[in-house]
Amino acid sequence: MSESLDDLEERINTLRSEIRRAVRAREGALARSLRAELRGAERAWDQALAAHEPTPDEAAPDEPPGSLLPVREQVHQALTLLGVPAAGKMIVAVHGALRAGSLRGPQLTSLRRDEERSFRTSPFARPYYLCAALTDRLSASRGLLAVSTWPLEKRVIGPLSPRVDFLTTAIRVAEHLLRLDEPAEQAPPGAQRLLARLAQNIPGAAPYGTGTPGAGAAVRGAGPGVVPGFAVPDPAVVVKAARAELAVHADADATARAEIAGRARDRLRDPERLFGGAMLTLARREA
Amino acid sequence: MDRLDELRGPVPPRPHDARAIAALAANPGCARRAVLDAAGIDKDATATHLGFPAPFGQSPFAITRGNVFEALVKESGCAELLRLLREILGLPIPLASYTDLGDVGGNPSAHLRHSHTRRLLDRAARDGDDAGTLYDHPLLRLDIAGHTSYLEPDVVAFRLGGRFHIVEIKSFSVIDGQAEPDKVAAAARQAAVYVLALRDTLEELGHDPARVSHDVVLVCPENFANRPAATLVDVRRELAVLRRQLARMTRVGAIVDALEPGLTFDLVPDAGGAPTRPVADLREAVRGVGARYAPDCLSTCDLCFFCRDEAASEGSTDLLGRQVRDALGGVATVAEALGLADGSLIPDEGQEEIARLLRLADRMYAEVS
Repeated sequence: MSESLDDLEERINTLRSEIRRAVRAREGALARSLRAELRGAERAWDQALAAHEPTPDEAAPDEPPGSLLPVREQVHQALTLLGVPAAGKMIVAVHGALRAGSLRGPQLTSLRRDEERSFRTSPFARPYYLCAALTDRLSASRGLLAVSTWPLEKRVIGPLSPRVDFLTTAIRVAEHLLRLDEPAEQAPPGAQRLLARLAQNIPGAAPYGTGTPGAGAAVRGAGPGVVPGFAVPDPAVVVKAARAELAVHADADATARAEIAGRARDRLRDPERLFGGAMLTLARREA
Repeated sequence: MDRLDELRGPVPPRPHDARAIAALAANPGCARRAVLDAAGIDKDATATHLGFPAPFGQSPFAITRGNVFEALVKESGCAELLRLLREILGLPIPLASYTDLGDVGGNPSAHLRHSHTRRLLDRAARDGDDAGTLYDHPLLRLDIAGHTSYLEPDVVAFRLGGRFHIVEIKSFSVIDGQAEPDKVAAAARQAAVYVLALRDTLEELGHDPARVSHDVVLVCPENFANRPAATLVDVRRELAVLRRQLARMTRVGAIVDALEPGLTFDLVPDAGGAPTRPVADLREAVRGVGARYAPDCLSTCDLCFFCRDEAASEGSTDLLGRQVRDALGGVATVAEALGLADGSLIPDEGQEEIARLLRLADRMYAEVS
């Protein structure tokens, strides 16, 4: 290996001096082809050097192979896992915890705009678009991303929808952990932290009660090293508790969503149905 | 109100925010502040031009910290807030609806947002329990001395059992059940402004203003973690002070009438907005209105350094804090108090009692030192 490295270095040096000569002699075509050769040699040198390093990825541990996917694919993965419109922060958290992804918040800022531009230039050219969730005023809801292939009822946001979507998120994350648990695989700590954070705000889902002061005291008696709110909740309990609250809201939410979706179908054209209408144009159309 | 426009000069009046209105209630006795605020004068620019720029403003770090904490509390349809409200107010599980009043379809004009807020609050006050629970980003309106101010509480007004509560999210931490009293007081004053504005709104809509609870939900990080915790804060006292102060501002005419004719705080800005008025001239004008400096002003008023400097140059007892000033009633300056204490000044009529106490204190001080 080291021989080939030495060879490569020698070749790079010769190439450089040849390029210098070619440039001085104003032989443009020759210089260009030599440069290309030099670049190839340098790349080969880089690869040979990388082969020598025992763990080349240690320098960038937060860039796992998943990041080779485009951002929109990663967001789509996370949204498909959740199945409900989600805020950028939640998408990043879920993707980081469950897919070991390396999405960063700022990457999502221009996503919706880019998707809208792409849709407007050639509608329905892509199999799916990352689009907006619609508010009850049929405008794009702030910060929520959804997938265009979902039914409209899923993409509109009624008054109870944030809660319903939050509970669904918790259920989906917990179920995902349950699937991981089955082959006796240890869930990644990030995922457990995410679940703990979600479970805290679901009555009956957090370990040790609802997090009232009394529950905190009970935890203190439970033994050292257990911090209230930070203990790992049981995914099955989370699913059960979240389903219980979900059952309370489900009907009212479904009615509200159906109503908004119906309105959206009547009044909005395709691009607006995906990316939200401007209220003033809507008002004008109604008038 | 023409006189107030004259005092301000040819610039638009500065709208009041909740912080400014709350600060008013902090020092009700200050005529200078009452006049400047009633006229909508940019106190910050005035103070800067006088050479005493305000020390506080808001640190960008504090603002970021506040915003991050607020976002945390409101994340996922106020999931954290719902947990807290269920704990401390016993909010029933089915009441979980969340309405973002800030979202009016890409049209952020204050007027539109306010009418949207009004419409939804009206519906909430009229309907039964299914009308809605959490209202994020409401835009309220409060009339102050003839000017309309829009207040955007970073708070959520929610209804439970027919009553509205104001929720105030603050990022100072509550450690072992204790928070800094100053900060709690400031938060309570600010929340009181929102309560007042919400009550006004309900009254205008023809509902009973008492349906806005005087118990404000204060949400703060608990202990050393970032986990939110909620407390109920009674703001009845702040409300009373605020109401009195606002009434006084509408009656600010009496103070203004007593001012010299021709007095103005106009900075005479040039085309670029830079003030061109001679500093000495402006200083005289500002001194024309009596201030009531107290050390608390340092955390609430833009003009605090100017007033402190003024109080110091006069040797005023105001510098020593409210308690000392009240104890030394009738004695205006530190020099006078010292003179009375060592007997070099003959007490005037009515000063005998305080002079006796000061002499006693002087004797005791001489004995122990």
